[in-house]
Amino acid sequence: MSQIVQGEPGEIFDIELDENLKRANDLLADENRRQLRKYGVRAVDVMGSIGSGKTSLIEHLVRLLKGKYRIAAFKGDLTSEIDSERIAKLGIPTIQINTGKECHLDANLVRKALGRVDLSALDLIFIENVGNLICPADFPLGSDKRVVIVSVTEGPYMVVKHPFIFADADVAVINKIDLADAMNVDTHKLSSDVRAINSKTSIALTNCRTGEGVDKVASALGISSVS
Amino acid sequence: MHEFARTSQIVEAVLSEAQKQHAAKVTEVEVEIGDLTFLGLEQVRFAYKILTDKTMAESSKLTIKQIRGRGKCENCGYEGPLQYLDDPQFHITIPTFNCPRCERPLSISAGRECILKRIRIMK
Repeated sequence: MSQIVQGEPGEIFDIELDENLKRANDLLADENRRQLRKYGVRAVDVMGSIGSGKTSLIEHLVRLLKGKYRIAAFKGDLTSEIDSERIAKLGIPTIQINTGKECHLDANLVRKALGRVDLSALDLIFIENVGNLICPADFPLGSDKRVVIVSVTEGPYMVVKHPFIFADADVAVINKIDLADAMNVDTHKLSSDVRAINSKTSIALTNCRTGEGVDKVASALGISSVS
Repeated sequence: MHEFARTSQIVEAVLSEAQKQHAAKVTEVEVEIGDLTFLGLEQVRFAYKILTDKTMAESSKLTIKQIRGRGKCENCGYEGPLQYLDDPQFHITIPTFNCPRCERPLSISAGRECILKRIRIMK
């Protein structure tokens, strides 16, 4: 007969929990990753602040790559379809993800968007995150690659002021290089700031108005643009 | 960012465990938060106070253990804390995810946690 030990009223108990509160998003991100791998689809998460050129970068990447790959784009915003209509004009499946009031995409929203496209008919998905250099870093989506884009019009300290977003950045894009002189911003300094924070991150300089340098972004992502 | 949402997750988990244990009161809660997350400890404490108000965990003691960022180097085998670059011009410290020994990129092994470690209850 086993003995029973019970607490008396007023007695104190310690309970070990070790509960990971970030697990919910991480599990969904893993599930997205599995789903994408199953169909051989590569997904690229594009992060950057408002007006840094995320949509323009994706537009040019789609123009450059759509002859060779079957591409879709997910477009995260608080509200509106302004940007997704720009991308949809390029003739690819485009899904607008409206977060309402959230300042970042999360794995659950991306999972829902993945359910709306035919993954067997795709090779590449560009996921444009909500314009923000802070919150998206805490919410992995399940993408293969993460791109961070900053532009010279945001000033010379964008990289050092937001170091944590570069922890997982495979590619850093420094955009609007045509305006660097006018803004008195040294793009070499921005590049060396990125390297000092994360030497794993490849760097590409672009002008996303003309498309200059976008081929370098594609090759840094390991996506060949030459057929 | 997101301290309120994360703290409500903490409080929800605490209260559901306390209920499961038929607790009369939660007296202490211990969490671990990595310093590479975007959770401000001051805001977490503030949210915790508001969220536990008039619950079983009201005026319980919240202990936050901060986990420093650590990395591992595939190249030279370094395993240890991330380095911080000091920029005296701007009074800021900038973390680097490069290996302090060989400059190659590190993989992050700690610093991103948000874990409810343990609770102390009274029956």
